[in-house]
Amino acid sequence: MNEICLQTEKIKKRFGGVHALRDGSIEIRSGEVLALVGSNGSGKSTLVKIITGVLSQDDGQITYNNNPVQYNNPMAAQKSGIMAVYQELSLVPSLTVAQNIWLANEPVKKSGFVDDKQMIDQTYKLLKLFEGTYQPSLYPEASVKSLPPDEKQIVEILKAISREPEVLIMDEATASLDSEQVKRLFSLIGRLREEGKGLVFVSHRMNEIFQIADKAVVLRNGKTVGEVAIAKSSEDEIVYMMVGSEAEIVKQPAYQNNATHNETVLVADNIQSEKLAGVSFSVKEGELVGIGGLRGQGQSTLLHTLFGNNTYSGHISIFDVPIDFKHPIDAMQHDVALIPGDRASEGLLLLRSILENFHLPNWKSYAKPLLNINKARRDARKISKQLSLVMDSLDSPVSSLSGGNAQKVVIGKWLLRNPKLLLLDDPTKGVDVGTKSEFYKLLHDLIERGTTILFYSSDDQELLRLCPRILVMHDGNIKADLTGDMLTEANLVAASMGATSNSTNNKEFMNV
Amino acid sequence: MFKSKKFNIAEWWKKLNVKYSIGLSLPLLIVTTILYTLLQANIFRPGTLSRLLTSNFRTWLPVILVTIGQAIVLLGGGLDLSNGSIVSVGNVILALTVVSSDETGKNILMVLVVLGFGILAGFLNGFFTAYLGLQPVIITFATSYIYGGLALLLLPSPGGAIPRDYTNFYRNTSVFGLPISLLFIGVVIIIWAFFRKRKYGRFLYAVGGDANAAYTTGVPVTWMKISTYIISGLLASLAAISYSLLTCSGLSSSGADMTLASVTGAVLGGVSMSGGAGSVVGSVFGGIVLGNIRNIISSLRLNSWWRTLVNALVIVISLAGPGLFNLIRRKK
Repeated sequence: MNEICLQTEKIKKRFGGVHALRDGSIEIRSGEVLALVGSNGSGKSTLVKIITGVLSQDDGQITYNNNPVQYNNPMAAQKSGIMAVYQELSLVPSLTVAQNIWLANEPVKKSGFVDDKQMIDQTYKLLKLFEGTYQPSLYPEASVKSLPPDEKQIVEILKAISREPEVLIMDEATASLDSEQVKRLFSLIGRLREEGKGLVFVSHRMNEIFQIADKAVVLRNGKTVGEVAIAKSSEDEIVYMMVGSEAEIVKQPAYQNNATHNETVLVADNIQSEKLAGVSFSVKEGELVGIGGLRGQGQSTLLHTLFGNNTYSGHISIFDVPIDFKHPIDAMQHDVALIPGDRASEGLLLLRSILENFHLPNWKSYAKPLLNINKARRDARKISKQLSLVMDSLDSPVSSLSGGNAQKVVIGKWLLRNPKLLLLDDPTKGVDVGTKSEFYKLLHDLIERGTTILFYSSDDQELLRLCPRILVMHDGNIKADLTGDMLTEANLVAASMGATSNSTNNKEFMNV
Repeated sequence: MFKSKKFNIAEWWKKLNVKYSIGLSLPLLIVTTILYTLLQANIFRPGTLSRLLTSNFRTWLPVILVTIGQAIVLLGGGLDLSNGSIVSVGNVILALTVVSSDETGKNILMVLVVLGFGILAGFLNGFFTAYLGLQPVIITFATSYIYGGLALLLLPSPGGAIPRDYTNFYRNTSVFGLPISLLFIGVVIIIWAFFRKRKYGRFLYAVGGDANAAYTTGVPVTWMKISTYIISGLLASLAAISYSLLTCSGLSSSGADMTLASVTGAVLGGVSMSGGAGSVVGSVFGGIVLGNIRNIISSLRLNSWWRTLVNALVIVISLAGPGLFNLIRRKK
């Protein structure tokens, strides 16, 4: 058995009231690749940031080469040989490739001046590791902002390698690489393993974990569940660990889609954009369709694309009418509404009154030609009763409402327009339990009324509890379309990790 | 072996621009200088050129110095709206204390006091913005009133007299036909180039480009930001010294006009308001362009508010430019 080079024991970290990490305990051994696995909110990224000194832990101990250590900033961690390839890249767009790779590690002449020539030569040497897998536009003096995502990722990897770390942590380093580039990265990892470095590999791709890792540590809800040796394990075992034993209880979703004979509301055919890789699906009238998967696999982008906020190629039609929204107004005219995830910044005018917020998208219908404020008030009162909104008066500012009630206003202003298709972009993120249950009730009412809903949530439990059909996204594509018996947490997690088996039992999905 | 190396002027210009980012400021400098010289009646009479050079640069030096400071703060992703008030304080201190050329020791001490004040004021700006993470626009706008108030407290009405020997030295000394004010700018540029080519320069551009990325890469972001405000404060004190030597008197609002001019000059010099792009040389060119515009406006006998209008327009256009550009692209 190899020697432990870095160990974390019972790391705890809280952000406000949220426990991001309750018990982060891992052992990184020299000459081994450790895969760090977990679903959304399991605390992987937080643990990585604590090890590299970007964040500091509330409690717990890190031991490095048998010495207890505490890094308060990334500089200190780097000096002792701990480097990370970050998921949200740490590159300065306005600097060149070489300047980025050698930033804060510049080769310096005796006189103290930065040695540009050596920097560029060394960069050419590093780029050789990925030779043939990138465009000629990637060269040491190219500006980083002009590079495509995969080449930026390569630069980020080379930056970490150039510092010759003892411990290298790769957080989703393969997310934007193509297969050939991944192959190069893996041979590089293999070489570092032989040199006895400690390596940590965080990935949402199960096949890659089985290809490169020696061991896997599974995190769930901020706690270390256990460690397995990859050679003696299987995809199923790891998925099982991620899900936990409680998932064995089969859950009945709250609502049944008895909508199969209804009209098709939405058809998306091969939507492609920077973050979407040919998404196709269709939704029937009155359906509640959940969108799941690990965070950042294109779910939000998909909803925003449907709403007309992003450019794309492909075809979208709503009620058999091909559409091409250029502005949210176009979407509104087709009775489509998008409820954003971030209430405060995208959903509400916090200082303005509840009435104003309700009618922000609707004033036009009350102007004939003068504003019929009484009718507006009546309608606002009706909708607030319907939503059982708790408030002083329609004229008090939205900021005086509790989180759940504010959320109702965000939804209410679109309900006043009677949308036929409602897009929900992770509306329960960071929302307390009481608010959530009120929100679920609201969803229920909407479905009763026949509204079609696309509901993205980063909370797997919530999706499983509510939705009779879930589309699981992985790498900008729909990996699985789960209904009926297939609708289990194990399947959902397996699909979000890109495990290959059992991706759908929905016939229609295969036909689209 | 005999492959001829073709001199490609477009390629050369592009490279020069990448290295020094003077693509905007150099053409502006040439155009405004030509316009200005055309408006001078006796430009071809011997001696006129050198006289103009001397009189212009001794007038421009204070503004160019604060512009360099502003450029460095902007490059690091900040903004210093208090540099003009730091000039005022320095000017007032000198006007009150440097009254006789016989007391050399005391005068040197007062110059050091002025420089120290600039460093301290800059440090305070940096501490509030970088260390406490407050908005630079708000903080330096607020401190500008604190420093400006201090100047007014020290010298409620214009007055003081800097000894003639000093001002004459500043106004009329030339070395190799170049006025010392111009030479001083050259020295500042050389000193800056020294730091620019070291880690300090690399860090500065990285911090201005993306402070978060720089931090996770191991750049001391907070210290870098604080240092830019200190440099700006120091350069503002130097501007105060040259301003005092120019006007030989004290005025509590002497630097008030310089703040806006310093931002305009830096922007004209190609320095990005959002940080990380531009150069100090460019900002010097920008400062000279502003001086030229000022002279052109006065030669045409236009009202002096044209100058303020030009300053403001440059800032508005430079701020609105990227937004307009995106809007046009979106419409297409």
